[in-house]
Amino acid sequence: MYNYSWFWLIPGVEHGEFLEAIHEHLPAWAVVHAETASAHAVPAAWAVVLICCLFAFVARAGLNSARAKGGIEQYVPAAGFSPRNMMEILLGAIWNFAAETLNSRDVATRYFPVFAAVFIYVLISNLMGLVPGFLPPTGSVSTNFAVALVVFLVFNWAGFKEAGFGYVKHMAGPVWWLAFFIFPVELFSMLIRPLTLAVRLYINMFADHLLLGVSTEMIAYVLPAAFVGLGSFVSFVQAFVFMLLTVVYVTLSVGDGDHH
Amino acid sequence: MKSKYLSVALAMVALFLVSNPAFAADGFETGAGIGLGAGIGMGLAALGCGMGQGRAAASALEGIARNPQAAGKIQTPMLIGLVFMETLVLFTFGFGFLMLGNLG
Repeated sequence: MYNYSWFWLIPGVEHGEFLEAIHEHLPAWAVVHAETASAHAVPAAWAVVLICCLFAFVARAGLNSARAKGGIEQYVPAAGFSPRNMMEILLGAIWNFAAETLNSRDVATRYFPVFAAVFIYVLISNLMGLVPGFLPPTGSVSTNFAVALVVFLVFNWAGFKEAGFGYVKHMAGPVWWLAFFIFPVELFSMLIRPLTLAVRLYINMFADHLLLGVSTEMIAYVLPAAFVGLGSFVSFVQAFVFMLLTVVYVTLSVGDGDHH
Repeated sequence: MKSKYLSVALAMVALFLVSNPAFAADGFETGAGIGLGAGIGMGLAALGCGMGQGRAAASALEGIARNPQAAGKIQTPMLIGLVFMETLVLFTFGFGFLMLGNLG
C-alpha cells in the first residue's frame, strides 16, 4: 500500500481523468502521451510550487522589514531561526558553489535563479515523498522531464549567448577532419542529458518509495523509521546532484573562459 | 589462472547454455530467463559500480589527505564522478524492474 497519495482525494486525479479532460482541449500535435498512471504528480507539483512561493514571500518580507529599519539591521543576518536566515544561508551556499564551479561571478549571477529554483523545487518535492500518504511529484518521469527540459534550454541558451556560433564549433572537436565522427557523438551526449537527469531522479525516488512500502509491510512502524532517514539523505543528495549537474552543464557550455 | 577446475567450470557453463532446448521440450517458460537476467545484471552492475566508486572515493580521500585545505574543491569533482557511475546502476535497476513485468 505504498501507492497512495492524498491528492487522490481530489476527484479525477486517481485515474488521470483530469489529464484526459485537458488533453481534449489541446491540438493533436501537442499531446505526446497521457501518462495517467502518475497523474497524481501534477497537482503535487503545483502544491510544491505553492510552498516554494510562500517560503520565498515570507523570507522576502523578513528582508524588507529589516531593510525598512535601516542601519545595521539590513546587513547583518537576522537573530535566531527565521525564514530569511534559512533562505540567505541556502542561497548564499548555492551562489558560492556556482561561482566556484563556473569560475566567474557574472555568469553565476546571471543563471543563479535557475540553479536555486531547481535545487529548492527538487528538494521539497523529494521530501514530500517522506510524509506519510504523499507520493513525491519527482516520482514520475514526466514531471522530472519537464524540469530537465528547462535545464536543457538553459544550458543551450547559455552556450549560444556566451560563445555564439563557437558553441556549435566547440562540439565539432579539436580538428576539422574529425568533426564527422565527433559531432554526432557530442550531439547525442548533449541530447541524452535531460533524459538521464529525469530518469536518475525518478529511479532514486521510486526505489526509495518502494523501500518504504516494503519495510512498512514487514514491521509496521519501526522499520520505516530507519528508511525515512535514508530517504531524507537520498533526497538531499539527489537535489544537490541535480543542481550540480545543471551548474556543470552550464560550465561546459560556457567554456570555462578558455575560448577567448 | 590455468587450473584443472577451469575446464570443468567452462564445461558446466556450456552444458547449462546448450541444454535450453531440452528444457523447452517439457514446458520450461522462457520468461524465467528474464528473471535470471535481471538479477545477474543487477549484481554485475553493483559490482562494477562498487569498484569504480571505490577508486574515485579513494583518490579523492588521498588528495584531501595530502592537502586538507582543498577538501571543498576536491569534493565537487568527486561527487560528479560518483553520480555518473551511480546513474548506470540505477538504469540497470530500472531496466530490470521494467522487464519483471514480462515474467512468464
